[in-house]
Amino acid sequence: MTNCLHCDQIASSPLYIQKENCETGPFCCQGCVTVFNILKNKGLSEYYEIKKNVAIFKDRAPVEISSNQYTYLDNSDFQQEYSYLNYQKERTIEFYLEGIHCLACLWIIEKLPTFVPGVSSSKLNIGRSVAVISISDTGSFSLVARELDNIGYRPHPLKINQNENLLKIKENRINLLRIGISGAAAGNIMLYAISLYAGAGREYEQLFNAITVAFALPVLTYCAYPFYKNSYVALKNKSLSIDVPISIALIMGAVMGVYNLFIGVPENYFDSLTALVFLLLLSRYFLKIIQEKGLSTSDLNFFYQGESLLKSTSEDFSAFIEIHPKLISVGDVIKIVPNQIIPADATIIRGQSYLNTSLLSGESELQKVSEGSLVYSGTQNVSNDLIARVTSLPKESRLGKILQHIENGWSQKSKIVDITNVVSKYFVLVVFLLSLFLFFKEFQSGDMRSAFEKALTLLIVTCPCALAIATPLTFIRSLSKSAEKGIVIKDDAVIENLAKAKVIFIDKTGTITENKIQICDFKIHNDPEIDFEYIVHALEQHSRHPVALSLKNYFPLTKTELPIVQDFKESPGVGVSGYINQNHYLISQYSIFENERLVASFNVDTKVKKDAFDSIKRLKKLGLKIQILSGDKHEKVESLAKTLNLQNEEFAGELSPEMKNSLIKSSTHSIMIGDGANDALALNSANTGIAVHGAMDISLRAADVYLTTPGLEHIVNLIVMSRETMKVIYRNLVLSLLYNSLSVVLAFTGYISPLTAAIIMPLSSLTVLISSLIGTKELRSQWK
Amino acid sequence: MEIIPFLIPLAIILALFFIGGFIWMTMKGQYDDLETPGHRMLLDETQINNVDNANQTQKGDL
Repeated sequence: MTNCLHCDQIASSPLYIQKENCETGPFCCQGCVTVFNILKNKGLSEYYEIKKNVAIFKDRAPVEISSNQYTYLDNSDFQQEYSYLNYQKERTIEFYLEGIHCLACLWIIEKLPTFVPGVSSSKLNIGRSVAVISISDTGSFSLVARELDNIGYRPHPLKINQNENLLKIKENRINLLRIGISGAAAGNIMLYAISLYAGAGREYEQLFNAITVAFALPVLTYCAYPFYKNSYVALKNKSLSIDVPISIALIMGAVMGVYNLFIGVPENYFDSLTALVFLLLLSRYFLKIIQEKGLSTSDLNFFYQGESLLKSTSEDFSAFIEIHPKLISVGDVIKIVPNQIIPADATIIRGQSYLNTSLLSGESELQKVSEGSLVYSGTQNVSNDLIARVTSLPKESRLGKILQHIENGWSQKSKIVDITNVVSKYFVLVVFLLSLFLFFKEFQSGDMRSAFEKALTLLIVTCPCALAIATPLTFIRSLSKSAEKGIVIKDDAVIENLAKAKVIFIDKTGTITENKIQICDFKIHNDPEIDFEYIVHALEQHSRHPVALSLKNYFPLTKTELPIVQDFKESPGVGVSGYINQNHYLISQYSIFENERLVASFNVDTKVKKDAFDSIKRLKKLGLKIQILSGDKHEKVESLAKTLNLQNEEFAGELSPEMKNSLIKSSTHSIMIGDGANDALALNSANTGIAVHGAMDISLRAADVYLTTPGLEHIVNLIVMSRETMKVIYRNLVLSLLYNSLSVVLAFTGYISPLTAAIIMPLSSLTVLISSLIGTKELRSQWK
Repeated sequence: MEIIPFLIPLAIILALFFIGGFIWMTMKGQYDDLETPGHRMLLDETQINNVDNANQTQKGDL
């Protein structure tokens, strides 16, 4: 197995560069070769040295070459909205960069000022893949963007809402402050608490007690504020969350400690409580960081804006300028180049081409369009340039309407209540009743103060803090593992849903099969002595017909010079023909002829992704019911199902998006895997929607999980991991409940004192922490 | 044990000093990006030679 030198993907047909008798490579595709050459010419080859020494990096996709000019970035209206002046009064813009994955990327991005003229500074945040780039008066953003694109990091300008950004930074800083202060206070309190437990002596008892109270108060008020706020929100909605028992324990602890200080009893629970606040805040902060590392929903917005557009500026449609898709309006004449996704519904005024509508309808066959045809946004232009007039804005287009549907549906999607909250709900009730019971029992025996104290103690020591720390930690470990594998998960509740899943629906086109057509069954007839590579590339040189493109892909070009074709003829609908070295060649009707003699025949088909077969077998082994849903012709779905060894009831073809949706709605615990706009509704209504690599933005928005690297096997691994994760979480639940029952027993028998609490509370947290670390370690090592 | 009345205030002052320092650093933005600086320090400050430019000068020399 060989891995690409540039992107580390497996190179199935490796390419090598031959230069001065030295071979460099392997590379997986032409895109990576181009980037390698550019880096080398710029003297940036150190990139590969750094990359070699980096142990950990994320998976990334191979480089795709684009021809964007990014001139719209220099437009002053655009800059007004997207850029700002930094403190040195230089124009600054933030780009989200695709493909940031390791230390070497950091190196190269921060070297920008040395190889792009006019760049004064460039700083990258690896975690967010965001580069902040400032230019001097002589520089231009379009140049920067082109250079970034050339070296394989496609830039997306981020619209910076200064106020929102500042708020976010401030919130992050306050979170850190809370963690730091609670940690420092907990540490200091422990010093005095230990002296108190060891018997500090009369003269210091009161002083030490006062010091612990002084340190604890900021923790229990300022640092623990998020718990109080969450409990208030939960109680207002007439529900209970895990924060409610935590808040009760903290408030009761504070009341009791201050009260004991005033009556001169050196007893409080502040050592345990502050340490718990610290650990709780810490685990939540890490969970938040991990989740934000994936793309947050708001960050996805810039993907929806898509690529730049060519807008005509002259009467005869010969001159074009690049604009940002947001600036498009009805009546604009735009040029749609091959491979571009059509940004808005439009009528074609010039040109003929084939469209790939599979993203919108699921059909794999290409649709021919010509002057006067209406094209829908979300379909992809395949062969020739098209000039079209925009008839409706992106948000009013057919795609936009589906999108609106999704957005309305998004709020309706039933939010799963995670298991810890369900358990804590009952738990709080039980503990409340128990402490009331304890209070009245003690009250009857006469001593009001001791009754009150015992009931309070029960409330404090049964706080299920261990659970509240262990669950986030388990999720953190699983989420970070999937992030490492290039899987973006929107919410940790998704893991619980994945573990519960029983049925899995899979879309065909783009998910099990590749989106592009491919040559298959290439048969050579009558033993000709010809070099097909020569013939195909010479004849199809300028053709952008989908079959021609796939033929050219089938015979990768290795030679530098092509023979001259004489008497070249291209007849639409028939094929191409011409004379090469006095021989007449014709490519037509899936056949190649040499001097009227059939020399080769072939067929086209969409190729099944290489890991689809194994993945489906493994999914079945996991006990999941599989069903393939497709908008494609029934026969095509059937033949695919046969190659995958699927039974008759396990596939369905010719489904509209709405039919897919209702099929999924009728089943419970479902997973939907898809990529196109026609899957978006289904992705949204499934318990878990997974959008595969290369999916359309609309599916991204509807899905809960998004794969940033190609391959179905990741989904299988993800399901296995989710199940294991939930096992660990259930185990922690049982452990934590055992500890709490123990403390209830101790409280009833009257054995509980601050010292016992100081031992039991951290011990229970420690046990579940170790349990989740060991549990997740096993499952992380399984998924290599 | 006469040292205790001296040590305790000292310990508290030290603690407050570090907490204060932490608050100051956080508000100054030292901890805004926790990931990148750790990587950045691993990179050497080397000058890169731009082959594109170098080639041009060579042509000029010839």
